[in-house]
Amino acid sequence: MMVRAENLSASLEDYLEAIFWIAQSKGAARAKDIAKRLQVKASSVTGALHALGEKKYVNYAPYDVITLTSEGLKVAKKVVRRHQILKDFFAEVLAVDADIADEGACKLEHSIPRPIVERLVEFMEFVEVCPRGGKDWIKGFIDQCKAKTKQKCEKCMNSCLKNFRKGKQLILNEENITTVADLKPRQKGVVVRINRRGAIAKRLAEMGVGRGALVEFERVAPLGDPIDIKVKGYHLSLRKSEAADIVITHM
Amino acid sequence: MQEFNIVTTDNGVTAGNGVVRNGSVKRDVSKKTITVAVAGNPNSGKTTVFNALTGARQHVGNYPGVTVEKKEGSCSHRGHKINLVDLPGTYSLTAFSVEEVVARNFIVDEHTDVVVDIVDSSNLERNLYLATQLVEMNVPLVLAFNMTDIVERRGTVFDIEKLSGFFNASIVPIVGTKGRGLGKLLDAIVDTVENPRVKDEHTVHYGDEVEEELDKIKPLLASEHSLGEKYGSRWLALKLLEQDKDILDKGHSQELIDAVAKSVQHLTKVTGDEPEILVADRRYGFISGACEEAVTNSVEIRHMRSDLVDKVILNRVLAIPIFAVLMYGVFKLTFMLGDPLMGLIESMFEWLSAFITGLWPIGAESAIKSLIVDGIIGGVGGVIVFVPNIMLLFFAIAILEDSGYMARAAFIMDRVMHKIGLHGKSFIPMLIGFGCSVPAIMGTRVLENRRSRLTTILVIPLMSCGARLPIYVLLIPAFFAAKWHGLVMWLMYVIGVVLAIFCAKLLRKTLFKGETMPFVMELPPYRVPTLRGVLIHMWGRSWMYLKKAGTILLGISIILWAATSYPKPDENTLAGLSAEQAQTTALRYSIAGRVGTAMEPAVKPLGFDYRIGTALIGALAAKEVFVAQMGIVYSLGESNESSQTLREKLASNYSSLQGFCIMLFCLISAPCMATLVICKRETGSWLWALFQFCGLTALAYLVTLVVYQVGSLIIT
Repeated sequence: MMVRAENLSASLEDYLEAIFWIAQSKGAARAKDIAKRLQVKASSVTGALHALGEKKYVNYAPYDVITLTSEGLKVAKKVVRRHQILKDFFAEVLAVDADIADEGACKLEHSIPRPIVERLVEFMEFVEVCPRGGKDWIKGFIDQCKAKTKQKCEKCMNSCLKNFRKGKQLILNEENITTVADLKPRQKGVVVRINRRGAIAKRLAEMGVGRGALVEFERVAPLGDPIDIKVKGYHLSLRKSEAADIVITHM
Repeated sequence: MQEFNIVTTDNGVTAGNGVVRNGSVKRDVSKKTITVAVAGNPNSGKTTVFNALTGARQHVGNYPGVTVEKKEGSCSHRGHKINLVDLPGTYSLTAFSVEEVVARNFIVDEHTDVVVDIVDSSNLERNLYLATQLVEMNVPLVLAFNMTDIVERRGTVFDIEKLSGFFNASIVPIVGTKGRGLGKLLDAIVDTVENPRVKDEHTVHYGDEVEEELDKIKPLLASEHSLGEKYGSRWLALKLLEQDKDILDKGHSQELIDAVAKSVQHLTKVTGDEPEILVADRRYGFISGACEEAVTNSVEIRHMRSDLVDKVILNRVLAIPIFAVLMYGVFKLTFMLGDPLMGLIESMFEWLSAFITGLWPIGAESAIKSLIVDGIIGGVGGVIVFVPNIMLLFFAIAILEDSGYMARAAFIMDRVMHKIGLHGKSFIPMLIGFGCSVPAIMGTRVLENRRSRLTTILVIPLMSCGARLPIYVLLIPAFFAAKWHGLVMWLMYVIGVVLAIFCAKLLRKTLFKGETMPFVMELPPYRVPTLRGVLIHMWGRSWMYLKKAGTILLGISIILWAATSYPKPDENTLAGLSAEQAQTTALRYSIAGRVGTAMEPAVKPLGFDYRIGTALIGALAAKEVFVAQMGIVYSLGESNESSQTLREKLASNYSSLQGFCIMLFCLISAPCMATLVICKRETGSWLWALFQFCGLTALAYLVTLVVYQVGSLIIT
């Protein structure tokens, strides 16, 4: 889980990051390595180390190697992670070159308010996981960037619709799955499948109530059954028992 | 070589001359008869177009072997004679219902030159489903886009050329109700014959999985030469894959059946749906694709006006009251307008009788005279007199159907009907039964399910029809005090309904057991019925009634007349009796009388005596005759239901319970001959008519027996 770091200054965070990376490759960090990496004067390093030492993030002794305490490691990892995520976002979602992504991450991670960074991180994770987005979506964006001309969104949407109708796309949020019998007046849904086999299923398919069809609930008969729905531009009446077998995603 | 095409009517008369040739040879275009099959969805305006093209030159028959109406007509255009056959309105051409099979078989078997599909363009996608199936059949096709006026109003535009390309058919925009575009339609028909399009089997693509299986099945069809040639191997393979019952029934090699079964299994497993569903979805996919490219504006055209009307008519609170008022109005109007006309016809027949009688010297007895006056005029006249009422009921039904209200009535009433095991569509026919069983039974045509239909037909006579009214009017005042009149009358109707429900349920549980067909039914947009359409509708049905009922009734009337007149008692027996008494004796002497007398022990448990028995026999022809017969039996000569003397006679001879039982028996027992004849016609066999007759009579006997016996016990 996200550990809320103390209000470390931007530069101190940078130092932690630097120590972390140096320690990764060399085992421990020396002051001059840090100065070189961050392109700062040795005296600045000393000052920072003092401050970090006070906060118990580093083990600092003059003329000795510098290591991170367990606390310090935790915080460093968090900072590193944040940087990495931003860099990934720039490189993989916005599709910019790796070094520019890095530069941007460096700059951004300190200057924008924490909540935004944290939200961006969450968004990154969301994009990865949510089936509505996912790799295909990003790919579409990348292709768009590469193409330099505005692609016809229509074509892409049509092919998406075709795929959706074929049922190849994952169903949206489970909560929206319901049947026609459970709809209320004016509610709409898209047909996912028909649970029955045989004459009824065939009849329904022929009347236009097939996978991918948009149906809208119109009304119930005065005695409670049957119901009147709109599909393919006309009114179709069904008994509730028949409607209960038409599975839809509610819109 | 000249080619001719013939159209055979159900009488086997051939129109045109020559013999039909298979396949196509170079056609000589001069003086040619073109056979056109007119197909289309229900409510697409097909019948209006058919009527407009053929006018009075049409007639109604039957497709052989089934109780499906066949309408044929003709017209001429550019030197060609065009024979049009109005196929039953169907949503598709799969073997779902008899109508669909009939339509499909006609197109294939009867060597149709052109198929015209009437498409309701304000409902395009669904209407094109049928068109897609016609495209699959590779027949020369013309699509008539009807209701283009509505479409234009909405601002939707069709790219006719593109659509034409997609469907490989000529497309003609028309407005059937206004007669617009019909000339162009005829042009298109002739052009399609003169310049046929190149056939293309592969217009519709069913998706890779299905296409693969089709390719596997097609080679195996080589062994089924005749079928393959007739239908085209791709279409045949498709039907087999769809498990089309009609095609499967035609018989195939085991190898083929196995291969098909394997393919079906494979497809079901891989896609999760049975092939027929896949194919149906694909057809709609094809249609969607075509519409996306060639139709601008949303395909979801809403029928705004129709929706507004439905908001009132199908309103949860208002729907049933509106329905009740409408039905009441229909009946009231029928009898209001019908009764005076009835009176007119009655007088006409009376005049006719008097005239015929006058041809013989007064008082002269003559078998022929009696035959004509009592037998023919009396019997047949008694039925013809109802024609105005029947015609008016047909008129009302036609308006309800054409306007689209019928479907709403079925929608409203389905819940109740379903509980009985029937379909919402059964309600209106049963309601009409309160007027007359004949139009009611003919009205059951709207029921697609044979079982539902048969059940409805069999129980319709239990709806106390108009002919039983005179019996009630005679008997109720005779046996019951004034304050009970309304109640008893109402009771008779209620008993009829209750018994109908009971019988329907029983029939559905025993003889006609089976899953109820789906209710899935279109609620078509409201349309203003055309007067011409309604009149043609009404006239067609009425003429059928007259023809069928009239002819058979003639025969039966004569038989009954003979039974009630012969043998005649000799002079001595009649000596010294008054005219009325003589009548009574003669009746007793006749076959009917003897049967009545012989029957007495059988009817005694019901509280009847020989007189009632005799009268009931006479009433077999038509229920109203019962009253007249009773008059004769009681030596009162000519009587009708308002005869007070007859009432008094009855009151003095029978108890109230007996009077009630008489009415009960008349209510339940077999309906008039006309009903039985129409029943045979609509069910397709005498067996059902006989079953109805015996069943109802048996039921009447049973119920009356119970009521009388139990009643007697209670009263004493």
